[in-house]
Amino acid sequence: MFNFTPEERKVTLFLLGLALCGLVLNNLVKVNCRIESMVYPPIQLAKLNLNKVNLAELVATNCVSMELARRILEYRNSRKELSSLEELKEVKGIGDQRYEKLKELFFVE
Amino acid sequence: MKRPLVILAVFYCLGIILAGLTRINFWIITSLASAVFAAVILWGRKNWIFLVLVLFLALLTGYLSMRNSWVLSNCHIRKFVAYKDSSRYCLNGVIASQPEFKNNHLWFILRACQIQSDKLRYKCCGEVLVKMDFEQELNYGDSLTLMGNLVPPPSFGRSQSYRDFLARQGIYLTMSIKDHRQIIRQDKFNGVGLIRGCFRLRAYLEQVISRNLPPIPASILAAMVLGQKRNIPWLVNNSMVKSGTVHILVVSGFNVGIVALMINLLLKILRFPRKTRIILTAICLLIYCVITGATNPVIRATVMGLVFLAAYLLKSQPDIYNSLVSAALFILLINPRQLFDIGFQLSFMSVLAIVYFYPKLKVLVHLELCRIKILKFIAEGCLVSFSAWLGTLVIIALNFRIISPITVLANILIVPLATLITLCGFTLVLSGLVYPDLANLFSLPTAALITLLLNINAALIQLPFAYIYF
Repeated sequence: MFNFTPEERKVTLFLLGLALCGLVLNNLVKVNCRIESMVYPPIQLAKLNLNKVNLAELVATNCVSMELARRILEYRNSRKELSSLEELKEVKGIGDQRYEKLKELFFVE
Repeated sequence: MKRPLVILAVFYCLGIILAGLTRINFWIITSLASAVFAAVILWGRKNWIFLVLVLFLALLTGYLSMRNSWVLSNCHIRKFVAYKDSSRYCLNGVIASQPEFKNNHLWFILRACQIQSDKLRYKCCGEVLVKMDFEQELNYGDSLTLMGNLVPPPSFGRSQSYRDFLARQGIYLTMSIKDHRQIIRQDKFNGVGLIRGCFRLRAYLEQVISRNLPPIPASILAAMVLGQKRNIPWLVNNSMVKSGTVHILVVSGFNVGIVALMINLLLKILRFPRKTRIILTAICLLIYCVITGATNPVIRATVMGLVFLAAYLLKSQPDIYNSLVSAALFILLINPRQLFDIGFQLSFMSVLAIVYFYPKLKVLVHLELCRIKILKFIAEGCLVSFSAWLGTLVIIALNFRIISPITVLANILIVPLATLITLCGFTLVLSGLVYPDLANLFSLPTAALITLLLNINAALIQLPFAYIYF
């Protein structure tokens, strides 16, 4: 009826399939909020948990020196664990600028 | 000779490498090249003499072009600034790149046209990398007057790689702007209108992505579709380096191919005639090249795409080696120093390895005997990944000191997913251009696919001996 070429048929099918997936997912997200956490990537995939990070991982970010990494871990261990990332500002050697950089790499849970 | 351009390109590259290793006077080589040129004209009737002389001439041209790229013109801004110079300069110029906010700083390249020190003013040329500590609305083509110190780029200890990287782009100086009083913006546009239009379109498309997706998937999609890597989280980038799949985060030949295919199909659906379709696709490829920042892989893919489109227009069979070499020569004739750029080496070596090894491996494993379609498809994917891995193994090992045995498996799983994400990404972006609310429909499947990709990647690098740093 539409006289489509094979390529046009593939494009049309792809767009329709994608739109259908979008509608189904949209509906599922509205009905069940757990689905949302499956659709969107968890923060653990993009940032390191500062309460679980070790010295090697901290230094590997190239954002802190070995000395500063040790100080951060000492501070964390002295408090058992951090409750918010802002506590990092209390570590000697972390000013506003470095804190902004660390904020992009770490989270606290 | 089946592929003369390939041999010429090899000798041209050898000349560039030779120039990096030796220091022979420019004029001695020029005289030699002139003599060889004269010899080609005088004794070039015999085939083998002609061939030898032409190849030698290509080698000398490579040498001269590399040596010439080191020489700065007399008015170059670098010549006005002494080593460890602490004087303040007043610099007039035009923004030559789209300013980007990265690591809490605004970065852009300023094309200088006038420099003032004390009360002396000089006309100058050359580019300066500008770092601003605060945000200000600036765009490509804006005329500025900047005041501050001009210093060479930092070299980070013994490593000269950042300084060399900038030198390869023709940037030898940086200026840091810490205060609003150091910058005066003039209401004058001095850029190319088409480039400004492309940058505006890119900004709008980035907005479409960030409006419809949360930050992590948006950063990944912006990198895959628009070549904007600045927002990618460090952990994501690092885990993809470990699995050898970081290439999916840059715009490459694959994306350019998708753009060409999509535009061509769209025009076909709209019943455009064949010639118009090819010409419009070529124009769209050039625009996409500018939008994504015209990096080496994109230029390579665009030139190759244009060669293929030209062959399609002339109804002749394109040769992949010749198109690849013409792309390399196009980049190296403009800037021979790009031969030493890792991005250039990886981009060309991976394509060359796929083109060369893949057909041979296919014969070696007798893939044509496989009757099950899905199995054959997976095996082909394995061979393509293995070929690319083989071709880039040495470069990656030497530069990044990492070997990732997981690469082949990771690419088999991740590349098809990345293909799907790129297709979804382009659909999302184009639908957002036409009707913003429509983009919302495609955002959830795109986000779900990106989440799946990140999860697979994170699981793969947890496997024993997935990657080895040395």
